[in-house]
Amino acid sequence: MQVEDRKEGDVLVVKVLNKRLDAQAANDFKEKMTEYINNGSPLIVLNMSDVDFVDSSGLGAMVSVLKLSGGDGQLAVCGTTERVARMFKLTRMNKVFSMFEEESEAIDALSQ
Amino acid sequence: MKKGKVKDSTNGLRDFQNSVRHHVRYSGGKALDQASKGDLYEAVALAVRDRLIDGMLETDERYKRQDAKRLYYLSLEFLMGRALGNNLYNLGVFDLAKDALTDMGVDIEEVRDSEIDAALGNGGLGRLAACFLDSMATLGMPGYGYGINYEFGLFRQEIDNGCQKEKPDHWHSEETPWLIQRRSEACIVPVYGRIEHYQDKSGNDNPMWMDWKILIGVPHDMPVAGYGGNTVNYLRLFSARSSDEFDMQIFNEGDYFKAVQQKMSSETISKVLYPSDSVEAGKELRLVQEYFLVACSVRDIIRRYLANHDTLEAFADKVAIQLNDTHPALAVAELMRTLIDEHDMEWEGAWEITKATLGYTNHTLLPEALEKWPVPLLEHVLPRHLQIIYEINRRFLQQVSARWPDDGDRLARMSIIEEGEPKQVRMAYLSIVGSHSVNGVAELHSELVKTTLIPDFYQLWPERFNNKTNGVTQRRWLLKSNPLLSELITETIGDAWITDLDRVRQLEEYADDEAFKKQFLEIKRANKERLAQIILDTARVEVNPDTLFDTQIKRLHEYKRQLLNVMYIIHQYMSLIEDQKQLTAPKTYIFAGKAAPGYFMAKLIIRLICSVGEVINRDPRVNGQMKVVLVPDYRVSLAEAIIPAADLSEQISTAGMEASGTGNMKLAMNGALTIGTLDGANIEILEEVGDENIYIFGLTVEQIQEMRNGGAYNPWDYYNQNPNIKRVMESIGSDIFCPNETGLFKPIYDNILHQGDYYFHLADFQSYLETQEIASRDYNDPSVWAKKVILNVARMGKFSSDRTISEYAREIWDLRPVV
Repeated sequence: MQVEDRKEGDVLVVKVLNKRLDAQAANDFKEKMTEYINNGSPLIVLNMSDVDFVDSSGLGAMVSVLKLSGGDGQLAVCGTTERVARMFKLTRMNKVFSMFEEESEAIDALSQ
Repeated sequence: MKKGKVKDSTNGLRDFQNSVRHHVRYSGGKALDQASKGDLYEAVALAVRDRLIDGMLETDERYKRQDAKRLYYLSLEFLMGRALGNNLYNLGVFDLAKDALTDMGVDIEEVRDSEIDAALGNGGLGRLAACFLDSMATLGMPGYGYGINYEFGLFRQEIDNGCQKEKPDHWHSEETPWLIQRRSEACIVPVYGRIEHYQDKSGNDNPMWMDWKILIGVPHDMPVAGYGGNTVNYLRLFSARSSDEFDMQIFNEGDYFKAVQQKMSSETISKVLYPSDSVEAGKELRLVQEYFLVACSVRDIIRRYLANHDTLEAFADKVAIQLNDTHPALAVAELMRTLIDEHDMEWEGAWEITKATLGYTNHTLLPEALEKWPVPLLEHVLPRHLQIIYEINRRFLQQVSARWPDDGDRLARMSIIEEGEPKQVRMAYLSIVGSHSVNGVAELHSELVKTTLIPDFYQLWPERFNNKTNGVTQRRWLLKSNPLLSELITETIGDAWITDLDRVRQLEEYADDEAFKKQFLEIKRANKERLAQIILDTARVEVNPDTLFDTQIKRLHEYKRQLLNVMYIIHQYMSLIEDQKQLTAPKTYIFAGKAAPGYFMAKLIIRLICSVGEVINRDPRVNGQMKVVLVPDYRVSLAEAIIPAADLSEQISTAGMEASGTGNMKLAMNGALTIGTLDGANIEILEEVGDENIYIFGLTVEQIQEMRNGGAYNPWDYYNQNPNIKRVMESIGSDIFCPNETGLFKPIYDNILHQGDYYFHLADFQSYLETQEIASRDYNDPSVWAKKVILNVARMGKFSSDRTISEYAREIWDLRPVV
């Protein structure tokens, strides 16, 4: 599981570099994200623009991360491809995540 | 007359030959002189397909330009049969192709014989869907079939020592020249999983569908040409693929064997068509199949709609979806789910769109054939859909409660969820609640739907119920399957009947014309000779074309009463050998039909037919007065050979049990007289042809209901009072027809006499026997018989599927021709 991260003010921007967020990548993804949260990054923007396939395990991992970041934290998702966005809608996960087309919009939203 | 309007000029002949040569060489990879008949069939089919594709693209463009409303006919079955001949006729190039091939030293009939039937259906329901596609295309209507691309169609039937053996029917779905794969339009279908509740951004409960598996639906299009070739619609069949086809990376990164296993299990979904009456065996797979079709279809239809429209608000103005029986009933929940979950619509708006879009056709009155799915299974396979069904039911029962306060019984009767262990989802009720139209398929059937099957729903929404009497396409069932009769009709009244079957009424003028009658009977004789050869080749029985061909060709089911026919045959045989009575007319009894693999009684009846045939056919005392034969592997192409050769059409179901029947229409259209009960569309055939031109017998629906309800029917009464019945039953119970297997047919004897004869065989026997006698007497007078036959053909206008489709289009779909 490959990610790249950078700080934008209080917001941590995490870009998923894998093309697939599926059963094989899900656990790794969850661990990485847990690490970020436990290391004190409550505001996270997840940039998914490189991901072109998400299966239910990947989405399940994202929900776990969302729950973990609950309380004080916030998680925003940006840059989903059409196919991935369709998966979010299919599971109704688009209704629980804050979703943005552009990374900058997501950063602005969490910074406010 | 040339068959069809030939669009091509003489250049067309050379073009066609070049196209065939091209495909032999570049599609088949062979030199022409090395091509087998199969290779030639492929090449000819591909040459025809090229023309179909041109027509299909042009048609699609025309529909787009006019932003035409489209109809999607969802059916788990499409019994298409062979396509080559039909396409040649409808494109108007049959004679051109025949001449072109003859010139190349190729016999077109041999080429046509190489085609394997697309047997993607069990019987009437699937064939109706195929006839409808032909009619919609001929009428220039934007209508598409949506179904499953089964790798194995209905099993191939072999008769081994009198027993039905089922063999896989591999119809080469992947290689058939008629299907165009549309990989780029593949869609994702989630299935299984669980619901997790979590708060949405506004703090409301948000059920999320998690842990699903993915199937991929890959569409394959089979072009459907209307007569004249101006409109070419298509049948879209979905194949199930695993998600790895969506992204091959799983093979590169993951566990290879696990991936292959997963791929195989996903592809099972479209592997095989379930024979009717035997769904029980693989319930879960069948449910997934039904959902797979519905999910692929809804996704595809919405995708197509949104390609030309910005929002879904006016969806129902441009899209109509017809549910062929309850098999695609999950469309109600799937459309709702898609609109609400994926397109963020409010429930009320989504519900209005769903109802306005969907229509439901009921095909059966048999309670055991009404689909129900156990709630735990549905929850396991489709957890989100079950939630939606519960919500639909909750809102629906509120409506019922408001109309009939304090009527708990009614609520229980009408609930989509049937209480019990386990609870079950009543798919017919889901279809009714979620559709704006509910139709039966014959006048009587539609009445019985309203009065006995679901009267509560009729009381609630009388405006929703209507009738659409089935029909058949005269292009396949007369023009193509009976070329001799077609030519005679066309020579006599012109060819307008091909697209307007009402025109055949002009033949009435010739019903007393002796020369015309003679021609008519000569054609029948020629068709009988052709069938006799097929029977000899396939059933190894020599039959005499000068005998009356008495045919019962349909699925084997107790309610269709092949047994009543066999009982009559046994009676005839006994009269001949024991009473030394001469039969009124020498007869050949022809059966064809498949029994569901797990249907014990139906398979035993096949065995009885074969055994009775074996005894009678080799008994020298019969002396050519009777023959009995079961022609194996009934399918569309065999029906096309039997129907033109039939003299008598057996439509003898227990009254109130056959929804419509369509074989009855095909046979009458080809000059077979009907012997039948007052059931299904027989009643309307009677109304059309007049009671002097049909042989009606037996109890009516009302009489049967009365006898059933009052417990007044006791088969023993008939047994004891009628020596003919007693003798027949004792013959069945004895070993006369099973000398080497004592007691083989005892279960039939017991079923009739000890288990109440549910289908009223004995109650109708005497009436059947007497009516058969009248038919035989009429047959002995060729002039009398021919007149009846001509009047039957002349009065079949109503039973064209063009009429049926025009009614659906006008009264349910609001669909117009786009020409």
